[in-house]
Amino acid sequence: MVKLLAHRIALSIPLVLLVSMVVFALESLVPGDPARTVLGQSATPENIAALHQQMGLDQPWIERYWNWLSGLFHGDLGTSVFTGDDVVTELNTRLGVTVSLVLCCVIVSAVAGLALGLFSAVRGGPAARVVDVLSLAGLALPNFWVAIVLVALFAVKIRLFPAIGYVEFAESPGHWVRSLVLPVIALSLFGVTAVAKQTRDSVLDVLDTDYVRVLRGNGVSESRIVLKHVLRNAAIPVVTVLGVVAVSMLGGTVFVEGVFVLPGLGTLATQATMDHDLPVILGIGVYFTVVVIIINLLVDLAYGVLNPKVRAS
Amino acid sequence: MRRPARGRRRSIALLAAAMAIALPLVATTACSSSSSASSDSKLTLQFTGPPVSLNPALGGNGLSATFTALSYDPLIYLSGDGKLVPDLATAWNYVGPDNKVFEMTLRHDVKFTDGTPLTPDAVVASMNYFLKAGGGLVSDAGPVESITAVGPDKVRVTYKSSNPDAAMTMTQYHGIGSIIGPKGLADPQSLLTSSDGTGQYRYNGKTSLANNRYDYDKNPGYFNPSAQRFKGVTIRIIGDPQAVLSAAQTGQVQFAAGGSTTADAAKQANLTVLSPPFFNWTLIVADSAGTVCKPLGDVRVRQAIAYALDRSGLANALGGQYASPSTQVLLPGIDGHVPDSGYGYDLAKAKKLMAEAGYANGFGLTILTESLLDRNTTYSQAIVEALGAIGIKATLQVESTGIGQFSGDALSKQYPAIIFPTAGVDMFQLHNQISAGLFNPFDNVDPQVESTLAQAFATDGADRTRLYQEASRRYQDLAWYVPIFSTQNLMYVSPKLSNVKASELNPNPVPVAPTAELAWHGK
Repeated sequence: MVKLLAHRIALSIPLVLLVSMVVFALESLVPGDPARTVLGQSATPENIAALHQQMGLDQPWIERYWNWLSGLFHGDLGTSVFTGDDVVTELNTRLGVTVSLVLCCVIVSAVAGLALGLFSAVRGGPAARVVDVLSLAGLALPNFWVAIVLVALFAVKIRLFPAIGYVEFAESPGHWVRSLVLPVIALSLFGVTAVAKQTRDSVLDVLDTDYVRVLRGNGVSESRIVLKHVLRNAAIPVVTVLGVVAVSMLGGTVFVEGVFVLPGLGTLATQATMDHDLPVILGIGVYFTVVVIIINLLVDLAYGVLNPKVRAS
Repeated sequence: MRRPARGRRRSIALLAAAMAIALPLVATTACSSSSSASSDSKLTLQFTGPPVSLNPALGGNGLSATFTALSYDPLIYLSGDGKLVPDLATAWNYVGPDNKVFEMTLRHDVKFTDGTPLTPDAVVASMNYFLKAGGGLVSDAGPVESITAVGPDKVRVTYKSSNPDAAMTMTQYHGIGSIIGPKGLADPQSLLTSSDGTGQYRYNGKTSLANNRYDYDKNPGYFNPSAQRFKGVTIRIIGDPQAVLSAAQTGQVQFAAGGSTTADAAKQANLTVLSPPFFNWTLIVADSAGTVCKPLGDVRVRQAIAYALDRSGLANALGGQYASPSTQVLLPGIDGHVPDSGYGYDLAKAKKLMAEAGYANGFGLTILTESLLDRNTTYSQAIVEALGAIGIKATLQVESTGIGQFSGDALSKQYPAIIFPTAGVDMFQLHNQISAGLFNPFDNVDPQVESTLAQAFATDGADRTRLYQEASRRYQDLAWYVPIFSTQNLMYVSPKLSNVKASELNPNPVPVAPTAELAWHGK
């Protein structure tokens, strides 16, 4: 297990390099010029040329990348072209928002998805069909539409939650929860349905195995069979799906943070792309990559906990 | 396959169902007792994007002026209904003839954030810094030659040529009149994290978060405390129109920039919708010498374009009740607008002019546009469609990455025509705007317009109005600028907020004012 983890961590280094290189190359394809964005409507060609030099944009591609990379090894991601702020500080102030959002969504997806999937598999009959239909509807509804409907219902019509904004946990835990409820529901709808569907299929498969029949034959209680044996064996594909869902949620934050005006990495990514703020875009690329690596490591760890064969390998 | 016993199955299923609904329920109950974070005495505004800069010398105009107006008093204040009101300057006048020397008397007992008093020297230093700082509003200041301190409380601005608009340029929208303290001038970078003005509020960089919220605390040293009607002000950055509407409906923001797609819903939600005319959407026929597109060198072709547009139809289709047809470079209500004048819709005449010019079968034309102000380029596409009626096969070149990039494209002289709105609340401002930059990339100069306006700028009253109207008519004959329709600057005001006024002379009001009667306040 330790070997597996070490192997994964070693693999993550070239991954970060590769992602940063791809982001660097893609950004250079985006039309427009950061110096012109900074200087605005009244920029003269001389001003633009001077700022190009100051920003190092006149240097060759590879040299600029190398400069950025050597900073990365010292924990320095440079400064924002647009605001002049330190990128690491800027990203760290926003990381909490995105992590709160994704973490809450993963928890909601896991708990609600497992519960619904289990209900559908164990209960069967019309109730299960209803859950299946709801799951499919959840997969089909676009999250931006869900977000707008949620705001219209639970922020504007019934004033339960704020329509926009984020409150730090340290400032007020109650307001923190309030500010996250609607974004979390909007973003986790896909996760809940994906996990529910996977859970139902896996549980039905496991319920059909010989050892469940043996357990029943030996008089083991049904709740013990389902909660201790079936769920554990059905959990591995569910954990895989949960990992995929968590990663896809990172992309979803870009939209949900925009609609709910949450100051996270998603909104920063949008603004930085509009501004051609390359150091910030690269920084976000690195942060997102690291988060994806951590999610995958957690999934691997979960395999180990759930399946002794993985631990032994 | 053997299924579990029915009773047991039901209990597990119930447990699962209970878990599924428990999570949102816990979240709901955990917070149902808490109340909104904002208190009545704080004002929260919305703005669409981050400020151009928090340094007033580098900042923006329009509604974006609020970012700096909260912390920096202007020399002269422009009220919502368009009146010039004493602020840091208590009196002003031209010295001598021709509107070339402008003098202002400063208010006494005014202090910057660090307690330094406002003196003529400090004002001169701030204005000179503005002229050199390289901000986007420098051309607004007019042809400044020198700025000097005169006596213990006067500042004198001398212009190279007549400037009839000196008082207007000293207001909160044009940068030069927003006075920065000596401490801030010594370290301009500090103005991005804290403010150093004499204004009612101080920018708090510690609680603000770039691109999300900008916080301002009450300035305890402000010269007229009765005009400070709020404990503090926050500007929230919300770009999505639907999110703006929701925030305004729920009272999370008390003032917001609206849009024609959400204005009806805002009215239904009991918000006051202010709608002063603002943008004059114009087809800029920049290549009037025919360098890139030969037909445009013929004035008959440019006039044909002006006659070919059904302005009422376009305004109605594109902006509904929030747009009006525009036939002149100046909007109605502005000094220099000529009543019942301008180009009407006359397709037969347009076709006749095209034929006379030798282009009865039309020609190809590339038009530069952008999708930031003209969302999804709906306006531009409608204009292109309309030009098809006289055989002009126009194609759009759309810049979607920013106004800076768009401006660069326009100045490249590759595009013979450009679609972009003008916005000027008087002829001096408008002429400054359209005779330079992206509005005039091919450097068109008309001696007749220049000499008429030079005379106008040196005079005032009825004479000036007559000359302004003459220049308007000349602009119309030249058809370098083809106005199409004007759109209103839609703003949503909470029913809990009072005294918010806007007009064609000031379509972008700010919450602060030097007197309690003019400042916005809560109900």
